[in-house]
Amino acid sequence: MQGFELVASVASPGEFGGTDLSPYDAVCLGSPYCRRVEGNFAEALDRLPETVSLLHDAGKRAYVTTPAAPREADLPHVARLVDAAAAAGADALEIHNMGVLRILREKGRPLPAHMGAYANVYTHLAAGVMRDAGAVRVRPNAEVALEEMGTIAREGRVEVELLIHGKIPLGVTDRCFLLDGPEESDPKCPAACREERWLTSRQWVLKTVGKGVLSGRDMCMLEHLPRLVREGFRVFRVEGLYENAAYRSEIGSVYRDALSLAFAGERYAVTPGWAAAVRRHAKRGLCNGYYFGTAGRKYVGTVLQNPNSGV
Amino acid sequence: MTAMAELLASGGSMEMVKAAFDNGADAVYVGAKGWSRRRAEYEMDDARIAEAAGYARSVGGILRVAFNTLPSSFEVPLFLAKTDGLYEAGVRDFILTDPGLMMALKNRHPDTVLHASVGCTIINVQDALFYREAGASQVVAECRMDKATMRRIKEEAGVGLEVLVHATTCYTLLGRCTMSSYTRYEHRLDAEGKDHFPGSPNRGGLCYRICLSDWDRVGARGEVEESGFVLPNTAYFRADDIPDLLDLGVDTIKIQGREYSVPLVGEMVRFYRDLIDACLRDRAGFRMEPWKDRMARIVAGRDAERREKTAGLISESLADADTPKTH
Repeated sequence: MQGFELVASVASPGEFGGTDLSPYDAVCLGSPYCRRVEGNFAEALDRLPETVSLLHDAGKRAYVTTPAAPREADLPHVARLVDAAAAAGADALEIHNMGVLRILREKGRPLPAHMGAYANVYTHLAAGVMRDAGAVRVRPNAEVALEEMGTIAREGRVEVELLIHGKIPLGVTDRCFLLDGPEESDPKCPAACREERWLTSRQWVLKTVGKGVLSGRDMCMLEHLPRLVREGFRVFRVEGLYENAAYRSEIGSVYRDALSLAFAGERYAVTPGWAAAVRRHAKRGLCNGYYFGTAGRKYVGTVLQNPNSGV
Repeated sequence: MTAMAELLASGGSMEMVKAAFDNGADAVYVGAKGWSRRRAEYEMDDARIAEAAGYARSVGGILRVAFNTLPSSFEVPLFLAKTDGLYEAGVRDFILTDPGLMMALKNRHPDTVLHASVGCTIINVQDALFYREAGASQVVAECRMDKATMRRIKEEAGVGLEVLVHATTCYTLLGRCTMSSYTRYEHRLDAEGKDHFPGSPNRGGLCYRICLSDWDRVGARGEVEESGFVLPNTAYFRADDIPDLLDLGVDTIKIQGREYSVPLVGEMVRFYRDLIDACLRDRAGFRMEPWKDRMARIVAGRDAERREKTAGLISESLADADTPKTH
């Protein structure tokens, strides 16, 4: 059986604790959205050595994310974060901002870069530029369709990571939408983004996490895994940020089983148990549209498209 | 020391290109059809671009051609062919977003002048250095960049700096938002084979501005915490900052507005031309106050045109059509 890598995103010790990480091969530590997320691994640098060691001892790779929108004032911290991640023995740094990629290069590439969801990788040429600056893996922008991703991987000569389940990152800003005043003095920070909040309008639902906008629906590629395997993809992300421990644990378990089956090349079918788990955690429904060339909120498929259909 | 700065204005049509130059713009940007951050009706085909470039040369101005969307890998050969053709027609100034396309174009035509678009979301000095290394000689500052960062880019990055003084700031960082295409996204190929990606401002230019719809904020149990608000996407004017921007040595002062009417664009360009010239003539004695009434009239005209267009775009997004991908 070919190998694959299932990656979870975990922002803080609070999210780390209680999550069953056994389904995952790698964990990406920290939140790229806001430096003030309580316990953010990308901020609390003293926690990195122990957490990276814990993951390595469990046979998992440890990646560390970086701020998606670092202003000039954030760059000294970013430079320290690069050093701390490398010193802790992290396996890669997730990067969304080109300035951060340049800082890593200037430091002599002490660890490889994985370009994140906000790095705006749309073409193999952009992937190649980032590869030359130290990237070994890219996660193309959400709008990029599956057939384009294959070209990015082949022609850009980088590994491509696919979001296979979870909220799609739709936007990032450096001003928190959940606060009334400056984040330094607003008493609602940093608790505000721990609460679940949605934005609804007409037939649209989005999830707001303060400085980020996520899809309301959960990206779900469960019924399409055999195609992903056939097309050569082997790195998959479950987006666990701003979700609860049960979400990360149970969705991870579903995809561990499903990917194992798909990679084994055996007869593949979505089981009722898998379907029930993904539906249970998708409060606002499922989608996967961008991968198939339609609007992101669409669901393309025949098994899970209708919340009321059987499997 | 107050320095000259180029005034860059929008050219959504040949008529607008002429109006912008005739009212005092030093440079005008136009979008190659299917390749810039506006929908096709505000872009130009290659023949019109060549004509606009000729007009620019005749008045001693510069025409910049925006290829600042993020295309598909499949479209790279078309990008190279189109830019080759425009190069042959005498165009040397391009606005790009994808760093890979920047490098490819610069390698092919080393004498081209490349500007890193607002879509690059350049928010710090290291970003500016990255895009310089990709081939850009000038970068556009992210809309909310503070003056201290602008100063550092000028001092440390070795690139020209362009600042938008008349634009809108998106709710999210411009260039890092896919909210529009999450709601509606299509694939429409033109005769040259370019996908216009309707619904994606990053890929095709058409943004449905769903952030400006009426939103409710809802808690975990479905309780409405706040209702009927729009997400912050505000009109944005930095006229008051122009004296400081000139002092900083900003290279280009840009006015957005390809979708506005030609008379309004002409009026906007004339206003900023007069204001910049007055400031340069007498920096020590320059006061903003006498300019406020004229500015307010322009803002009112602009807001009225924008409101009408936004309502149409949101309504269009609700049509919810999905055209099968045709690659």
